[in-house]
Amino acid sequence: MQTSKNPNHRRRRLGISGAAVGLASLGMLATAVSGAASASTTRANKTAHKTVTRAANGCATGAVPITFWAWVPGMNRLVKQYNTSQSKVCVTLDDVGAGNPEYVKLAEALKSGTGAPDVAEVEYDELPSFEVTHNVVNLAKYGANKYKKYFDPWAWKEVSQGSAVYAMPGDAGPMGFYYNAKLFAKYHLTIPHTWAQFAADAAKLHKENPKAYLTNFAATDLQWVLSLMSQDNAFPFKYTGGSNVTIDFTGKKQMAFANFWQKMLGAHQLNGIPDVTAQSFGAMDRGVDLSWLSSAWGPSYFAPDAKQSIGNWRTAAMPQWQAGQHVAANWGGSSYPVFSTSKHPAQAAAFSEWLNGTSAAWKTEVTAPSSLFPTFKPELNSPAFANITVPISGPSHPNTVFGEAGKNAAAVSWPPFMTEALTLSGTTFAGVLNGKESLPQAFKTFQGQLVKYAKQEGFTVHTN
Amino acid sequence: MSITGTLRTVRGRALRSSDAQRPVEPGHSHTNWVQQRDGRGIWFVVPFVIAFILFTLVPVGYSIYTSLYNTRLIGGTVFSGFQNYTATFQAGAFWSGFIRVIIFGAIQIPIMLAIAFFFATMFDLGIAKWGGAFRTIFFIPFAVPAVVASVMWSFLLEPQFGPFTHFASALGFQGTNFLGTSLIFPTLILIVIWEWTGYNMVILFTALKAVPREVIEAAVLDGASLAKVVLRVKLPLVRPAILVLVFLNAIGALQLFTEPLILQAYAPQSISNNWTPTLYLYNTAIGGQQYNLAAAGAVIFGLVIVVVSLVSLVSRRRRGEFA
Repeated sequence: MQTSKNPNHRRRRLGISGAAVGLASLGMLATAVSGAASASTTRANKTAHKTVTRAANGCATGAVPITFWAWVPGMNRLVKQYNTSQSKVCVTLDDVGAGNPEYVKLAEALKSGTGAPDVAEVEYDELPSFEVTHNVVNLAKYGANKYKKYFDPWAWKEVSQGSAVYAMPGDAGPMGFYYNAKLFAKYHLTIPHTWAQFAADAAKLHKENPKAYLTNFAATDLQWVLSLMSQDNAFPFKYTGGSNVTIDFTGKKQMAFANFWQKMLGAHQLNGIPDVTAQSFGAMDRGVDLSWLSSAWGPSYFAPDAKQSIGNWRTAAMPQWQAGQHVAANWGGSSYPVFSTSKHPAQAAAFSEWLNGTSAAWKTEVTAPSSLFPTFKPELNSPAFANITVPISGPSHPNTVFGEAGKNAAAVSWPPFMTEALTLSGTTFAGVLNGKESLPQAFKTFQGQLVKYAKQEGFTVHTN
Repeated sequence: MSITGTLRTVRGRALRSSDAQRPVEPGHSHTNWVQQRDGRGIWFVVPFVIAFILFTLVPVGYSIYTSLYNTRLIGGTVFSGFQNYTATFQAGAFWSGFIRVIIFGAIQIPIMLAIAFFFATMFDLGIAKWGGAFRTIFFIPFAVPAVVASVMWSFLLEPQFGPFTHFASALGFQGTNFLGTSLIFPTLILIVIWEWTGYNMVILFTALKAVPREVIEAAVLDGASLAKVVLRVKLPLVRPAILVLVFLNAIGALQLFTEPLILQAYAPQSISNNWTPTLYLYNTAIGGQQYNLAAAGAVIFGLVIVVVSLVSLVSRRRRGEFA
């Protein structure tokens, strides 16, 4: 999810250089002294805290302790549900930050060999980064493969390499065309079933009202751009473990994709602002942006900012590159791996399997405040889930459309350096938002940056 | 605390001791001093030395050690010599950030010091009523953590709901985006000025207070106007304090980090990952997990700070501050 990459959540880790060379002295001494004092009190507090949480978590005495890191709100409900349902394992939940901050802590803890959790929430695109360092346990030996048939095929593919399973798939974000039906009617626009129609709609709307846009193209949101690319069968990465990786932003398909969007961007037919922000939701609510190529979790992110457009939003399948097809894509979602430093991998695997592979758990996960969109088919297909309505979408059933997309989404293979790619992309694609650079140009720059990085990291890089 | 006060004492003491030593033979005085030395004094220094070793020398040493290796995702850790340094010297992204913070400092520091000196003079002259209360109010922004200040300013300047944006459009500047590419630089300058003026003012105020009364009285008796007293008498006398502030603020500007980092969340299209040298180092270490490369960059960055500090020291010594 875009929000999890928010630099706002990142913690400052530098300070070795400037601070050390520039200052030392009394301030540091004071820190050292107070640090030592507070460390001992914290330890005492922690012990007390642990006993309390064990009981509060519904744990039986003598149960095997499992630590679990996740940031999805309401996960504590699942942990309690699991702990009370059996007496052998006691799961403790820690929220150490959403996305990147958690990955940084995970990487550090895994490197040092201690302090890592047994199970953690890891987005699909980040999972290969932990596979390449051999930090995740192959869950096949704990019976994970028997769950395969219950999951959307793309999701299972993204957590496995052949018969090896490196995490249980959790939630997902199958994409759809989320649009303001009232304004579509006002401007006499038809719901685009093909991308050609989409481009025609964009031009038509811009002609009629230059202050309104068919949609916003958030070039700086790499995960979103990659999802659109995957739907066009132009996903630029290939990675199946090991030292070979393919990076191709400049191939024929990729350039065609970039040129398709650039044509509309160049004609100012699309808005260009960062997405999943108050600004982008404001633009949607006030009728500046008429649609959002969004994922299943999109509406729940937008809902708090929707005021005047409540009830007007409808969901349709993504426009197609070839009429009559049903190609879908996924944007976001998390998996739940078990780490190699775990002292109780069997129990940890059992917990991850329960959390993601049982209806009992999913019944809770789909409800607020978690509101997760399942990759677990029994829940996806349950009428109760399909019939959920939300105020911003009036009486319509968005889950039906998103659920269908989930079944049709294609699996992609993420490179084991997505954090770097995401960090670079914010700056590399900024020029596209500002109109100072074209999307094909940005793709070329990005290609160069990623290839250079991958080579520095010792990969054999293929470019098509 | 007054910086000038401290410096003057140091200078005074140095003069006195050299006066006292002059008649005595250097060798003799040395032996004398060693004989008189009391071992107990060491214990006063030990806590500092331990902290200095643990929190300065060890991290710097570790940084240098790390910078000489390369840990790769494929292939593990290998000794790479000065490869990371060569890469950093060739990284345009690193140096463009340097140029940016230098321009930043060149604009921000003079403006801030002028404002700080103006208010310090007002309080020093006692023109303002409730001077103490106002000094405290002016000092408050310094007590606000940079993260909080940056978040607060992001809200105030937010392009859609920010009150300052509304204010600007009420004045006829519709569509002003303080966080847009064209205004982000002045916006950050304003934020930093807001944060640091009070602090600089307090230091200048104490320096002004330390100007001997007799000097001012003499100037007044000779018929100097108020403006003359301020600009021709007081300003030259607090010049050492201003010089110290210039260098402290210059080092601060080079290390600019928190404010652009926080604002990047609100304006990712305006602030790049290498907007300042520290942001570049941070993103190299965290985003790419290239800790070795970042360590090399940090060492180079540290050396630049050392050079700036040395220039400061030399220029102050030239002015005779350390006798």
